[in-house]
Amino acid sequence: MALQLRKMLQKGMSIAVLVPLLSMTFLLTGCWDRTELNDLAIVTAVAIDKAEGSGITLTLQFANPSQMGGQQGSEGGGGSGKKPTITKQAEGETIFEAMSFIQQQLSRNIFWGHNQALIIGKEVAKEGVQPYVDFFAHHPDPRLRSYVYVSEGKAAEVLRLLPQLEPSSGDIARELAKLKTGMSVTIKELLQMLNSDAGSAALPKVLPIFEENEKGGLQITGTAVFKNEKMIGSIDEEVTRGVLWLRDEIHLAAVKLSPDNTEGFISFNLIRSHTKLVPKIENGIWEMQVNIVAEDDIVENQTNLQLTDPQIIQQLEELLGEKVEERIYMALNDVQQELKTDILGFADAFHRKYPAEWDAVEDDWEEKFLEVKVTINSKVYIKRLGMSVAPQGVPKEEVKRTE
Amino acid sequence: MENGRISASQMALMMYPVVTGTGIIFIPSLTANAAGNDMWLSPVWAASAGWIAIFTALHLHRLNPNQTIIQYSERLLGKFLGKVVSLVLLFFYLVMNGGGVRIYSDFVTGSFFEETPTYIIVSSMMLLSAFAVRGGVEVIGRTAEMLTPIYILFLLLVFLLILPDLRPENALPMLENGFTPSLKGAYTPQSWFAEFFVIAFLIPYVKKEKTAARWGVISLIAVTLTFTATNLAVLFLLGEDVTAKLNYPLLDAIQYISIAEFLQHLESIVMAIWVAGAFVKFTVIQYAIVLGTAQVFELTDYKALVFPLSFLTVLFSFWGIVGEADSTYHSSTVFPLTSLIMQTLLPLGLLLISYFQKKTGLFPR
Repeated sequence: MALQLRKMLQKGMSIAVLVPLLSMTFLLTGCWDRTELNDLAIVTAVAIDKAEGSGITLTLQFANPSQMGGQQGSEGGGGSGKKPTITKQAEGETIFEAMSFIQQQLSRNIFWGHNQALIIGKEVAKEGVQPYVDFFAHHPDPRLRSYVYVSEGKAAEVLRLLPQLEPSSGDIARELAKLKTGMSVTIKELLQMLNSDAGSAALPKVLPIFEENEKGGLQITGTAVFKNEKMIGSIDEEVTRGVLWLRDEIHLAAVKLSPDNTEGFISFNLIRSHTKLVPKIENGIWEMQVNIVAEDDIVENQTNLQLTDPQIIQQLEELLGEKVEERIYMALNDVQQELKTDILGFADAFHRKYPAEWDAVEDDWEEKFLEVKVTINSKVYIKRLGMSVAPQGVPKEEVKRTE
Repeated sequence: MENGRISASQMALMMYPVVTGTGIIFIPSLTANAAGNDMWLSPVWAASAGWIAIFTALHLHRLNPNQTIIQYSERLLGKFLGKVVSLVLLFFYLVMNGGGVRIYSDFVTGSFFEETPTYIIVSSMMLLSAFAVRGGVEVIGRTAEMLTPIYILFLLLVFLLILPDLRPENALPMLENGFTPSLKGAYTPQSWFAEFFVIAFLIPYVKKEKTAARWGVISLIAVTLTFTATNLAVLFLLGEDVTAKLNYPLLDAIQYISIAEFLQHLESIVMAIWVAGAFVKFTVIQYAIVLGTAQVFELTDYKALVFPLSFLTVLFSFWGIVGEADSTYHSSTVFPLTSLIMQTLLPLGLLLISYFQKKTGLFPR
């Protein structure tokens, strides 16, 4: 009897404990950091401009959720007249301060996780970017993979632009970076550049092109060159190509050639290339050997050359190599002799191969860089001829071959 | 007191997260600070503390079969001194586990749950591990057997997915200033490797004791490879300067993953798995503390101690630690030294006495 009572009591006890414990789960469903998607204002791009007084003007571009999804079919969501992105602006000494002012204008929490691009205004770039990059590596929300640009004019203009093909100008910026027509730099890479031996950085420059009202596109207009986190100059698109060859970052390159004894051009499309920097120090002379191996396809032929002729191809390969070298020498001249800034990765290459010699010149690299002798050895292969092997539309007897 | 038995492979799977659980957060940044671009070499040097720990734990067990360190230290040092040493060792583990849980919770709140109070993260983790400890060594062993392989799998996945973004030239020039920087960088991680000494609490319950050595070594090699791979990955991705300035470089690396713009934002999945690994870590250490305490006071059962000691661990995760700066400072200055004394020198001393006793037969068995 007593035993039974005890058992019952135990059972009662365990129920008495279990019921409140289980009912607690209802209270514990929402915790402090519960976030619903419709409580978030998703940042797609950030722009930093110089404020009129001191500090910066921060512009944030937010995705407009009601306009983002179903616009694949309709043109740019144009029908409803609503914008796919919204921009908000505030001033502050720090990014976080300005951001908190923007937060006051919003009914949703600012969420950085999907930020695609950071656009830095030219004026801020000239005064130094270092104070503003820390936030992106410090605050837990932004990711290091956002792409960084310097804008030609006001950075906010880039965000105000409503793109035609992509959902937001932040997305265009990301896609442009991935196409690699110009420099393509993520926040992580910018941090690495600022910490690098050369202490210099290069960021792509972007220009918004407004076509009708706020609609338009973005264009890469060259590269901004930084020395010690301050923008000191810029190079145009063509020079940028040369720099990309040297940095082994060239991805898209359209080259046209006009061979001797013919009229018109042949166009080539770069398929892949590899650049290797081989530093050499001999008798105190610092030399950089640039070895380039590239592969091009022929995509257009205005001349009367028969392309199945190996000798013609060989001549074209040589001409292409010269053309590439010419471009690079031109870029080199601009970067080495005029901007006097090592954005080519030479410092790291020397440091890696000659650590002891590097230590000696580390503090005077700026001068030493000017003395570095550069030789370029390029080899371009034309592997595929394209869909036509002889010029179309040229009478058979006029097609030229080697005898 | 403990009737459960584990297999040697379960022991190995329990030990892997013990070392990597919190180490993987701190070690990349700490080693980058000290060793620069030789940071990947530091875990290899640091592993020597692990080799010593496994060696001493195994030999001590061979000389004092079927006893944990608490039991044989009493026999070797005499009842009073033995109990004092045992209590100091248990106190060390209590502080270590409290600090570990705090590191874990600061990481979780600092990078994900910004507004969730620390005590919620700490106490929910300790409550869960208390339940596992109450289940005994067998339950912990099986939990580890289930969770650790997933943990390792996800780590491998992270390394695989980050591969396209790696730039191996970041590691050059190697050994620019000789071996000194990488050895300096090994000072902190050695304390994590020394945690392998926790097997001194587990070996008596391993079914086939002879395989314990092999599995211990396998676990140690796996941990060494993990730390080396982690350091290589963050070095190749971020370079030494950026790594040294980041708080959780591995998390930044995971966030950087983007495969075809589709496979990205993986950190929450990785985080969930990582929490599972951290859970195994805290549970194994907590088990050692609870079992050891029961043995010091010669109790018949350790179950009554589980909740009080877990609560004490929660308290130790707050006492003396105001913020993350304290944790980092403690992990890189105080902890390596106390760990060296408690987990490396003390066991070596006990081993010497044990050998001496066996040779001379001076002390009664």
